[in-house]
Amino acid sequence: MKIIVCLKQVPETNNVKIDPVTHNLQRNGISGVINSFDVNAIEAALELKDRYGAEVVALTMGPPDYEKTLRLAMAMGANEGVLLSSRGFAGADTLATATVLAAAVNKIGGADLILFGRQAVDADTGQVGPLVAEKLDLPQYTYVSKLNLSSDGQIDAVRMLDGGTVRVNGDLPAVATVRSELNEPRYATPRNIKLSFKKDIVVYDEKDLDLDDSEIGQAGSPTIVTKVYTPTATPKVTETLEGSAKEAAQNLLTKLSEKSIL
Amino acid sequence: MFDNTFTPEQQMLHQMVKDFTAKEVAPFDMAIDQKGDFTDGLFQKLIDNGFLGLTLPEEYGGAAFDPIATATTINDLAYGNASVGVTLEGHYKTLDQLMKYGNENIQKEYLDSANHRIFAFSNTEPSGGSNPTGISSTAVKEGNKWIINGDKVMITNGGLAEVYIILVKSGENEFSCFLIDKDMPGFSFGKREDFIGLRGTPVGEVVMNNIEVSEDHLIGKRGQGLEIADQAHDDARILMGAVLTGIMEHALKIASDYAKQRKALDTPLTDLQVIQEKIANIAISKELTKLVYQQAAIRKQNGQPYMEEAAMAKTFGSRSAVKAGDDALQVLAGYGYSREYPIEHLIRDARALEIAEGTVEKMRTAIAKAEFEK
Repeated sequence: MKIIVCLKQVPETNNVKIDPVTHNLQRNGISGVINSFDVNAIEAALELKDRYGAEVVALTMGPPDYEKTLRLAMAMGANEGVLLSSRGFAGADTLATATVLAAAVNKIGGADLILFGRQAVDADTGQVGPLVAEKLDLPQYTYVSKLNLSSDGQIDAVRMLDGGTVRVNGDLPAVATVRSELNEPRYATPRNIKLSFKKDIVVYDEKDLDLDDSEIGQAGSPTIVTKVYTPTATPKVTETLEGSAKEAAQNLLTKLSEKSIL
Repeated sequence: MFDNTFTPEQQMLHQMVKDFTAKEVAPFDMAIDQKGDFTDGLFQKLIDNGFLGLTLPEEYGGAAFDPIATATTINDLAYGNASVGVTLEGHYKTLDQLMKYGNENIQKEYLDSANHRIFAFSNTEPSGGSNPTGISSTAVKEGNKWIINGDKVMITNGGLAEVYIILVKSGENEFSCFLIDKDMPGFSFGKREDFIGLRGTPVGEVVMNNIEVSEDHLIGKRGQGLEIADQAHDDARILMGAVLTGIMEHALKIASDYAKQRKALDTPLTDLQVIQEKIANIAISKELTKLVYQQAAIRKQNGQPYMEEAAMAKTFGSRSAVKAGDDALQVLAGYGYSREYPIEHLIRDARALEIAEGTVEKMRTAIAKAEFEK
């Protein structure tokens, strides 16, 4: 089995500034760390590796210093790291990022399972995993909180959604995005840290991936950020319905109908 | 600050140890002191996560990390609990001697096992501690075997460690080091000390009754024992500087956090010069101790002499850490004096290091002699 774990490096600080022109996050000069949800994705891959045997490939897109994120994944137990790095990739939105990642998955030779963290803690879109699934025409399982493979090689997962959980089964290959509830990530051991720095990292650019300039970077990004702001909180209103139980129930039905909820 | 010059490997290890400490060590700091032992499962987690093999060569399953990374690891762990740092300090200093002086056969036999067995160096006896020539344990050669007898006390990790390098008399005014294993016939543990600080780290006694070992178990050359014991002390003192820095970082965090949320009448503690002075003094001592132990570690890594810097780290750091604990206690006032807060045990922990691995009085003599020789 082959598992690809897609990783993102995010700014180390919570005090991220917004570019006044592009309205994108300013990442220059801020040291990066691995997106915390992606550590759960690595752990998920390694647990499957421990149980069933697998080759785990860590994949990320970014400047050369994103190598450290791949080294961390390898220090935790990933077999190899692949860095997608080119000036042409700069300024990518979620679609252009997914285009490059999907091309890289094909370049690597595909995988039985492609894992992502549920979202990145900087931009919080949660879109790249699902977009990669669409690009590769693979089934997707988002917000996974339990992940197993059944004896017939199917994915057996529980998705944790607002208000409940859903158990889902399906064929591999597939894409899954994982929640932090899925697992407790292991530590990178000192020995594996040392060994991870002795491994080569494969680097691909757009030429290696056979991508056109119009598909990548800003040119391949239809997203336009017009404004970034903190939403104002809407005050919550609590209303107590008076009267007998029957009257209160009738009153409740009327109010729900008025709000087109019923 | 040397931290900015860490290699990527050192930086990743530093972050991993900080994460491990925050989750697996610091939450149990008070419990370790109260229990007088490591809390359940903690020691196994240190083994499972490869801490015992941090300095071992890669061919023996270790990580082969350098002296700077090793000292930083001890510093980071000691921030969570000083006993955890001291237990690993005792292990690492012993492995240093086995790796430096042990012959190939004994290294092959034992270094692999150091990934999961604690090692300890044993010097002190009831008749001699800081003065090792006062010891009375013996090794007598009979044919191609050595027969070892004696009583070693106050061994860091004594009782927990499974393998010991011991200093014994091997002849008239001749001292040698041997490696012995707890599974050898004639080996037994004696009493565990009831010390007031560093209560997680066992400090105990080993009794040797006609333990028979081969020539391979002689560490270094016959008669090289005092040199090896001195070397073990120097290696330990770098790591003690790291433990003491961790204790001071802990004291500073507690005192600073408290000052930031507490007022005296209507004045925030942070606005009071008497409080500022204490916080600043703790911070200065913490940083200076760190710089000295890092300097010693760099010299060790570069193959330069480091006895003096290692002694300075321990001497300056231990009194500074006791004072830092006292200052932090005063910032917290009544709460600082309470056993509900960790500061009182930080003082007890720090106090041990004015004695262990050579008293500070002995350290000052060694430093002064080194200065006179310049």
